[in-house]
Amino acid sequence: MASFGWKRKVGEKVSKSVVQQFEAEAEKAEGPSVDDEEEEVNWLHAIKRRREILLEDCAAKSKRLKDEGAQLAEQGRHWEAVKKWDEAIQLTPDNPVLYEMKSQVLTILQELFPAVKAAELAVKFRPLWWEGWQTLGRAQLNLGEVDLAVRSFQVAIHLCPSEHSLWQEDLAWACRLRKQRLATKEKIRQEEETQKQILNAPELEQDYDFESDEVLAACEAVAKRQTRYEELKRTTVIIDTEGNIKNVVTGEGGSEDTATPSEEQFVKARGL
Amino acid sequence: MSTQYSILFKQEHAHDDAIWTAAWGKSEADGTETIVTGSLDDMVKVWKWSDEKLELQWTLEGHQLGVVSVDISHNGAIAASSSLDAHIRVWDLESGKQIKSMDAGPVDAWSVAFSPDSKYIATGSHLGKVNIFGVESGKKEYSLDTRGKFILSIAYSPDGKYLASGAIDGIINIFDIATGKLLHTLEGHAMPIRSLTFSPDSQLLVTASDDGYIKIYDVQHANLAGTLSGHGSWVLNVAFSPDDTHFVSSSSDKSVKVWDASSRACINTFFDHQDQVWSVKYNSTGSKIISAGDDRAIHIYDCPM
Repeated sequence: MASFGWKRKVGEKVSKSVVQQFEAEAEKAEGPSVDDEEEEVNWLHAIKRRREILLEDCAAKSKRLKDEGAQLAEQGRHWEAVKKWDEAIQLTPDNPVLYEMKSQVLTILQELFPAVKAAELAVKFRPLWWEGWQTLGRAQLNLGEVDLAVRSFQVAIHLCPSEHSLWQEDLAWACRLRKQRLATKEKIRQEEETQKQILNAPELEQDYDFESDEVLAACEAVAKRQTRYEELKRTTVIIDTEGNIKNVVTGEGGSEDTATPSEEQFVKARGL
Repeated sequence: MSTQYSILFKQEHAHDDAIWTAAWGKSEADGTETIVTGSLDDMVKVWKWSDEKLELQWTLEGHQLGVVSVDISHNGAIAASSSLDAHIRVWDLESGKQIKSMDAGPVDAWSVAFSPDSKYIATGSHLGKVNIFGVESGKKEYSLDTRGKFILSIAYSPDGKYLASGAIDGIINIFDIATGKLLHTLEGHAMPIRSLTFSPDSQLLVTASDDGYIKIYDVQHANLAGTLSGHGSWVLNVAFSPDDTHFVSSSSDKSVKVWDASSRACINTFFDHQDQVWSVKYNSTGSKIISAGDDRAIHIYDCPM
């Protein structure tokens, strides 16, 4: 007869590094305890002290892993850096700097969604840290979440308004993208509207006795709309450097907006 | 009249995002009490305080980015707001119409403050200049130069003699308005000064900083009269009570604290907000306190008189 029992793989949810750390500590602690078996030991105190030592060790080891990761990231070994920081996060899960650095490197690796997730944790653990918000905004922008990015940059500026890069690069750029997106949306709406009117011309709806001049007028209106539609299809929304919206007629209709902020400014080692 | 501090009213979800600023004014014409709030959702909202509750009167649209600061003129007729879009807008509170829109230029509008005669609006700038705009003209009339860093906070003394500014590097400057001369430069704090306020008799200046401390200065001699600790994080806003004996502070530690100005002791702490409290103000008599913050809520508290 099959018996029922809760199944669980051993160590399934326990990280390897933490186990190793724990075992090493346990061995160390076992050593002296054999010698003073006879002596009276204040176990309560001993346990408390051991936990303190363990916490201290975690912090020191996490710091080392963080620095190693930062070095790897600077050498362009991004995945290895992420691995180091993941290990560090296991040891100190509430350190915002680790998440923020990880987010920057994940952005370089084009892991866009995990980058946003990491930055969200950074601002959750340190909500007054403007650099965390900046990194979150940049990750959101890469994911195409322009509105969320504009919000994150505003929060960052509100915390540290003297930081020029936030105003000039981040917020200005995100606002420009937002403007462009709104203009594009408006153009699509116009296009659809015109197309709809070509198919059901309002001039032909009321009267069906087909007097020749009425039909002529309606056909003329439809033809005009047809050209307008064709024109709309060929225009592209472009925003010039002053932020003015222009509708430009182009052959292919490809976007000509190329001014992206330089890539190297996105990577900055923090809190080293 | 109440005999102890208590929370009187909560307006949850007053805005769609964090509330960064609030002001409380009283109309000279009809005595109605008006509250103005500004938020990260780009909106300025005008509320009427009557029968111990808030009633939304106007939602003022126009700012393209978050609203950093609002102030109400001393006769209670108009309000000014500044936003991250670098525009200062002036609103008629009666009709809810925009009267003026002033383009302060990039990064040149942070906190706004009406002069005691309500003819001017002062705002700090990133180059360390205090720009004074004329309410009537809608133009920059003149500026006072601190030769310092980004100015985060501004206050006029109620007697109209002084203007104080707090900078991002913790430096406080006090100007003589009549001559436009810089009277005192105080190395007040080591970190940004988010707010400062004069006592109603214009004798004391209270400053709030990211270093978690509140400092009290004697204005005439520019002496430090006291340093107060109690907040567990940045002190975001301070306001003096019209009774001349109390002031209130708000912090990113989610609390609002009421202090006694003479004993320098914290006499009450409100822990009613869920998140950072960006703004705190008294009403015209000192019987109520308003606070608002990142949790999008407006709280009104009762004060013993």
